[in-house]
Amino acid sequence: MKGIRNNRIKAKLILFSVLVLLLLLAAAFAGQISPYNPNQQNYEIALDPPSASHPFGTDRYGRDMLSRVLAGGRTSIFSALALTAVITVTGTAVGVICGYCGKVIDAVLMRIADICLAFPGLVSALAIAAVLNGGTVNAVIALAVVSWPKYARIARSRTLAVKSSDYIAAAYLAGDKPMQIIFRHILPNIAGQVLVTAVLDIGTMMMEIAALSFLGLGAKPPAAEWGSMISEGRSMFQLYPWLVLAPGLGIFVSVMLFNLLGDTVRDYMDPHSRQRG
Amino acid sequence: MRKSDRRDMGKVGRQGKRRKAGYWSSGRSSRNIWRYIIRRLLLLIPVLFGITFLSFAVIQLAGSDAVLQKADAAGLTLSQEVIEAQRAELGLDRPFLIQYLSWLGDFLRGDLGVSYVTGNDVFSTFVSRLPATLLLTGMAVLLTVAVSVPLGILAAVRQNRFTDYLIRVSSFIGNSLPNFLVAIILMYLFSIRFPVFPVVSDGAGLKSAVLPAVTLAIAMSSKYVRQVRAAVLDELGQEYVLGEKARGIRFSATLWKSVMRACLVTILTLLALSVGSLLGGTAVVETIFMWDGVGKLAADAIQMRDYPLIQAYVVWMAVIYVGINLVTDILYHILDPRIRLGGEEV
Amino acid sequence: MKTKTIRRRKKRIFSLLLVLLTVCMTGCGGQAGDQKEIQTDTGTGEEGEYKTFVLGDTTFNAENGEEDINPHNENGGWACIRYGVGETLFRFNDNMEIELWLAKSYENLDELTWKITLQEGIRFTSGREMDAEAVKECLEALISEHARAAGDLHIAEIAAEGMELTIRTEIPVPALINYLADPYGCIYDVQAGVTEDGIVQGTGPYKAVSLTADTGVVLEKNVEYWNGDPKIDQITVRTISDGDTLAMALQSGEIDAAYGLPYASYPLFENDRYTFTGCATSRVFFGAMNFESEITGDPAVRKAIAMGIDKEGFVETLLGGNGYPAAGVYPDSFSFGGDAVTAETYDPEGAKAVLEEAGWTDTDGDGVREKDGTPLVLRWLTYPSRQELSLLAESAQATLGEIGFQVEINSTANHNSIRADRTAWDVYFSAMVTAPTGDPEYFFTYHCLDSSDSNDGHYHSDKLEQLAQEMSQTFDTDRRGELAVEMQQTILDDNAYVFCSHLRMSMAARAGVTGLAAHPCDYYEIMADLDVEQE
Repeated sequence: MKGIRNNRIKAKLILFSVLVLLLLLAAAFAGQISPYNPNQQNYEIALDPPSASHPFGTDRYGRDMLSRVLAGGRTSIFSALALTAVITVTGTAVGVICGYCGKVIDAVLMRIADICLAFPGLVSALAIAAVLNGGTVNAVIALAVVSWPKYARIARSRTLAVKSSDYIAAAYLAGDKPMQIIFRHILPNIAGQVLVTAVLDIGTMMMEIAALSFLGLGAKPPAAEWGSMISEGRSMFQLYPWLVLAPGLGIFVSVMLFNLLGDTVRDYMDPHSRQRG
Repeated sequence: MRKSDRRDMGKVGRQGKRRKAGYWSSGRSSRNIWRYIIRRLLLLIPVLFGITFLSFAVIQLAGSDAVLQKADAAGLTLSQEVIEAQRAELGLDRPFLIQYLSWLGDFLRGDLGVSYVTGNDVFSTFVSRLPATLLLTGMAVLLTVAVSVPLGILAAVRQNRFTDYLIRVSSFIGNSLPNFLVAIILMYLFSIRFPVFPVVSDGAGLKSAVLPAVTLAIAMSSKYVRQVRAAVLDELGQEYVLGEKARGIRFSATLWKSVMRACLVTILTLLALSVGSLLGGTAVVETIFMWDGVGKLAADAIQMRDYPLIQAYVVWMAVIYVGINLVTDILYHILDPRIRLGGEEV
Repeated sequence: MKTKTIRRRKKRIFSLLLVLLTVCMTGCGGQAGDQKEIQTDTGTGEEGEYKTFVLGDTTFNAENGEEDINPHNENGGWACIRYGVGETLFRFNDNMEIELWLAKSYENLDELTWKITLQEGIRFTSGREMDAEAVKECLEALISEHARAAGDLHIAEIAAEGMELTIRTEIPVPALINYLADPYGCIYDVQAGVTEDGIVQGTGPYKAVSLTADTGVVLEKNVEYWNGDPKIDQITVRTISDGDTLAMALQSGEIDAAYGLPYASYPLFENDRYTFTGCATSRVFFGAMNFESEITGDPAVRKAIAMGIDKEGFVETLLGGNGYPAAGVYPDSFSFGGDAVTAETYDPEGAKAVLEEAGWTDTDGDGVREKDGTPLVLRWLTYPSRQELSLLAESAQATLGEIGFQVEINSTANHNSIRADRTAWDVYFSAMVTAPTGDPEYFFTYHCLDSSDSNDGHYHSDKLEQLAQEMSQTFDTDRRGELAVEMQQTILDDNAYVFCSHLRMSMAARAGVTGLAAHPCDYYEIMADLDVEQE
């Protein structure tokens, strides 16, 4: 019975990985597969409803919504991935250092983590976006500032647990250097949990970036980004619903896929949670 | 299991360190709790210093100031003299560090200053916005718990049946919708199409709180349902449940108690994470629904570079952060004495 | 074995769960029911002739410097005058010409001295009579509390006698009467004071009874109003800073009228169920060229930009026809505005020719022209708080792109510090009220002269300086108008500025609301003849 379940999880893992891969490919090659230039304006066809030639309709500049949703996907998805990567790496590095060194370094870094955690994301985002004049990169930086401590805490507590184990003591006795211990023994031991957390986080991060763009702090014109597209289309939602629904669908589908993948990865990595199905 | 969940969710990442029951024997325990509480409250000090300085610096870096932002909004052109005069009046012409230190001095004397924009007392402005945020937080949390606990248990009980799948799929959907999209759609459906709820809040009326609270609750419940389900399944699989049955204790009572406790700990963990951000006001939702809470206040203040008001918000966030962490630690301990207080601080 | 017991346990829990769910449901249901009752009490419970009116406004907030209705506090005067609390000595008619209001007549005794006679029998809502002494007190408070007013008026001394007010200025101020019609000139009873919330006692048709910053103000009928009978018993002005929410509130009937609707929502209200009124204001969306930039320092490039912006398309398509393509600084409603001047029109082919002739050619075939190795990259600085500016930027990005420009948009709230740095931008687009007091001097004084604080692009024209000098000495209104035309034409000939469109200020109200009309200066909203049929 356990075997069947394992196989099912494997099958799910493969399915969702393939779907996410497709999503990433679609985003990466948005320029090649989109039917029109996403920035090509044409007032003649402004605000046309969905049709055969424009499946998602057109916006008020007469730009093709499907092409813009695809282009927006590239911005949204890759910035979410970049953000997750940045906070995972930074957070883990800080966490491992804290856990490994302890004492003053630990105390100082963890207080900094406390401050960042308590620092309102909104203030950070608005301020950083203003300093760097908006743009998706800045939304990513702003969110990174307030999101890394979570990983630092996970990495730190796992490091503490691993550090006290016998084989680390053995490695010490064998004369391994701190760097060797960290890379050979500690990192491999904490990687699983960090990875699971990271994959589960991608969807959330995507929504946070979209929220910042919605507030007008993310992408800059004419770059397409899902959050800002929804924000722009909001006034016209009642008359031209596709302006909001098309990018909304983009966010929905990709967040959903990343969440499903994250869940499956967790089930796969954490045998204990598997029995929950 | 619960441990790892908590870490997954992780901001607070409190590690339940299990110890022998009875470690906290009565007398020692209460003394330790107090010492612990005081130690945690002292933590507030570095956090407050760090966070207020950081926010001051960061907003300063953002450029522009209250005087220019106001001129802009009105579309008026001010002469340089007028701008300088208004800056001097607000003390904005002083070096950054002096501005911070003077704010800090006032703050330590219990004076949060007056708003650069309205000239009103910051403390009373801030306090006047709190009830709205508290109401929204309360309603969102109530709704979330009322939806996610029964549905979570239901899904666990009907594991791998249709009901379970339905609940899980819905939770996935709810979890993948950004709240601003939900807000727009809800507002369109229930204020315009079927005008049941008002578009703009009329003060702190319960009725106008429904839509924003539902918006917040949809995302939260989706997350909570899955955690509750996992916790209940976990509990159902525990050996001691079987053991108690063998000892002749009434089956459903035991089960009910253990399931509820599992739910409580899970919900508590989740709430510890969400209530903090809810109390900080959800800028997006508050802005869309014109809900006059602290989130919208903060967003507006940042827009206008109203330092004293931003600082008040930041202080509030620091207090919530330290306070919520402390309260949840203590609650954990009360609910499950095996969890050592502040296991984190090894 | 184990799975079996678990399954049985589940059944027990299942039944308990049903109970729990039911309790929750009924709990929620009960709450909603209670609320409904409360709502009906406040909503339609009012009897007979007691008329109420709710106005939703996006601008009544601290962000716009309108945290209260105290005219001496920043832009509080706008709220004071718009909501019918305060009135000024003079007002503007639909052609932005000066008319008498609280003043009965005025006389310009010499370059520095003005004599103003007040209407008789006007009382403040505090009960005090409005005489010259009261006006003097108010104006003296104004110049000590309001820096912009003090800078405009240059008042040296005021004398009051009965109903006669004599004002002496420090320097000749030809537009003094216009300045007094600015909302900051609302006359209120200084002795009655300003409440903590910022409420003042004016002479208008309505009296403020309670005010909460960023939330709104409640007004009541001033039964002793001097100039007609206010028709509505209670007016609530509700701050709804978000335009889309405002539109929905009007649709759902929570507000009776709305000020500040987003363009995109206009079609929702252009039908029988609503009355829609709009007119051009002097708020113009325009770009200033940076004369110290390598790109816009070239007259050919400036000309090409002026020819490469599709003003008509922008107004017709992006603003849905709710705006007016601009030629010069002032809209049609001004005698010296609209077509009194000529500007470049949209002509992409012509623009290409101009650039080609000046040596800007696309040698590497990437769609962007170059000259001596410098690509034709236009750094377009603007800010996001006005929706039209973003639309304009994106529209121009496309049309200029076809001519061979590469437009880089920098839309940032931090634009003020960036525009001070002349190396950081080529064109700066903003939205400005060009004639807040109906007088043409303001715009040039603040934007186009060597001495102007906002002349960030370092534009200089000897001819303009000369004309401006003449204007500052000219008291004759007609001559000032002629000068205004000449001055506009000068800056247009130099292509120093591109004026794209004038804001059409629109208000929508549900059918049944009468007497609410948009006004070119955007100051007069709630007047004595505002009336509403109760639903």
